Amino acid sequence: MEENVLEKEIFFPTMLVPFGPQHPASGHFHAMLKCDGEQVVELIPYPGYLHRGFEKLMEYRLHVQNSMLVDRICVLDPFANEMGYANVVEKAVGVEAPEKGKFIRTIMAELGRILSHITWIGVLSMALGLDSGTRIAWGDREKIIRLNEIATGGRIYPCFFVPGGVRRGFPEGFKEKALKVLDYLEKQLNLYDNLVFQNKTVHVRLERVGVFDSKEAAALGATGPNLRACGIDTDVRRDEPYDAYPEADFKAVTMKEGDGYARALCRRGEISESISMVRQLLEKMPRGKIRIKELALAKAPVGDAHFCCESARGELCFYMVSDGTNKPYRVKVRGPSFSHTLSEFPYLVRGASIADVPAIYWSLDPCPSDMDR
Amino acid sequence: MESLRPKWGTRSKNEARAWSLWVVNYFNSCGFIELLPWVGSGYDMERFGILAVGSPRHADVLVVAGYITKKAAKRVKMIYDEMPSPKYVMALGSCPMTGGMYWDSYSTVKRIDEYVPVDVWILGCPPKPENVGHGIVMAMKAIKGGFEGH
Amino acid sequence: MSEEITSSLKSNFPASITGIVSEDKNFSLTAKKEEFCEMLSWLKDSGFDHLSDVTCVDFIEEKEFEVIYHLWSHTRKLRGAVKVRIPRESPSIRSVVDLWAGAQIHERENHEMFGINFDGNPNLSPLFLEDWEEIPPFRKDFNSREYVKKKYYGGE
Repeated sequence: MEENVLEKEIFFPTMLVPFGPQHPASGHFHAMLKCDGEQVVELIPYPGYLHRGFEKLMEYRLHVQNSMLVDRICVLDPFANEMGYANVVEKAVGVEAPEKGKFIRTIMAELGRILSHITWIGVLSMALGLDSGTRIAWGDREKIIRLNEIATGGRIYPCFFVPGGVRRGFPEGFKEKALKVLDYLEKQLNLYDNLVFQNKTVHVRLERVGVFDSKEAAALGATGPNLRACGIDTDVRRDEPYDAYPEADFKAVTMKEGDGYARALCRRGEISESISMVRQLLEKMPRGKIRIKELALAKAPVGDAHFCCESARGELCFYMVSDGTNKPYRVKVRGPSFSHTLSEFPYLVRGASIADVPAIYWSLDPCPSDMDR
Repeated sequence: MESLRPKWGTRSKNEARAWSLWVVNYFNSCGFIELLPWVGSGYDMERFGILAVGSPRHADVLVVAGYITKKAAKRVKMIYDEMPSPKYVMALGSCPMTGGMYWDSYSTVKRIDEYVPVDVWILGCPPKPENVGHGIVMAMKAIKGGFEGH
Repeated sequence: MSEEITSSLKSNFPASITGIVSEDKNFSLTAKKEEFCEMLSWLKDSGFDHLSDVTCVDFIEEKEFEVIYHLWSHTRKLRGAVKVRIPRESPSIRSVVDLWAGAQIHERENHEMFGINFDGNPNLSPLFLEDWEEIPPFRKDFNSREYVKKKYYGGE
């Protein structure tokens, strides 16, 4: 009888496979995978390709100059960075922005969250090989970017939130245009459900891949949709409310399984919740002032202030120490992708096959510039 | 028999190069964000024959989109050296030109043309998609007119 | 709500706490270097299971570094901060990797940017910078603008 060739074992020595920095499925992030055949034994990350020393740069600039610089920390969700910095300076000085300013900030921040999640759908599709998802998603993103341009003047880097409020109010006709865009996006969500989220290929590549339970997630510092996919119900917008979030009625989307598919569904649920929040806030918008102008060159008193907000990726925290001048003494930015890429990603990848590594990476939705700052 | 050999005039060789510029898939930094509409259906680069390829050996164009740190500069030079001739380099944004927003950062490179020779400079922070399109069309016209690259 | 946490801390560690600020949903306290690990361990056991951040501030005039641990409790929905001061000459502090696994990478970043040694951290190799020969860049005596002018803009 012939011997069965498939039953013979193959022996390979341990090899090092580089993942990035120039790779179709990694941002600008470099990692070395120690592999035993097709299985990954360990992942060694080499971050730092996007490091600018942001926190040092902010010590040389005034508060109002910093609020222009700070939205470049994470390019995919710039409104969250501006929100964090504006709020931490207001907390340090001890002043609150006026009501209408808070409403405008919350509306733009939620539009930014929808923008970030739609960009993520495109990137995930590119990494999984589903090119149509990329082309369609990155075309739909243009509609929200044009709303940004109408409201703020800037497509990607709006430089719109300042300590004290916002720079200008919404122009005539913005509310109708925004509602039209939201109706269009809600219809497109059916298309994304059919094409991406209920696609058999995406199911097979993301289900039961990159699983961790709630204890491990909490110990490794997970936040945002990655944590809510494991069952822990923490959302900074509801637990430590800021700006106009107490006026909006929303729920934090949680799942139980903790795998890549659960994380994807959490983000898909968040798009629907954000669309509903923007509609509610546009209805309830009050009248009044939008900005306290004196805060532009204000000197914060000696002391420190800490503020956390919920960006599209997780918990984004700003910690500022001031020495009585109008420049900060020290600013620390805690980006959500720092823990996701450097603590959780090496943990989740052990035991997976090489082909699953991009799927796990993009199901965590990292932003390498958030990690390196 | 020699008369059967196809005669490629210079005009069709240059046109062929201009209408199929393949770009290395290297997602640099924040200046790259306005190339996403070109990949997606907003502005769609495939109708110009532009594709994003994974390997530097398949590519004609290196797009340096945004700031480059000292750590990444060595890798940019490596990618540039691996690309076969003729090759072209485009620099997007104000950061690779003179340092841009991060002029006082201790870890970014201020002038990218100290490392790789640049053919097309596109202004903006980040450049709008229309500016990028203008740069692409300028490059295509130059190549059709006989620009040989390096 | 944070009152019960701060009063239990004051009764359990009376000698270590040098300053305490408590509001409704968050508190912040300054602790001495000797007992801060026991305090963090007590806080972790009472529900502070998320270590948000490990930060450092360089008070060059007072010749001290301040290391700050930001904590969050998923169950109690409370935020807390523990601050520890260490001397600026040969700075060194115990690592909290055995309490929270995610602390390893925060401490590695602070080691590279400030030069603080964390005893017990398994890997303190350089993270972001390659071939860096100057002093740790986030210290206050490193002037980033002078460095850039000398190195890139020809000393203008």
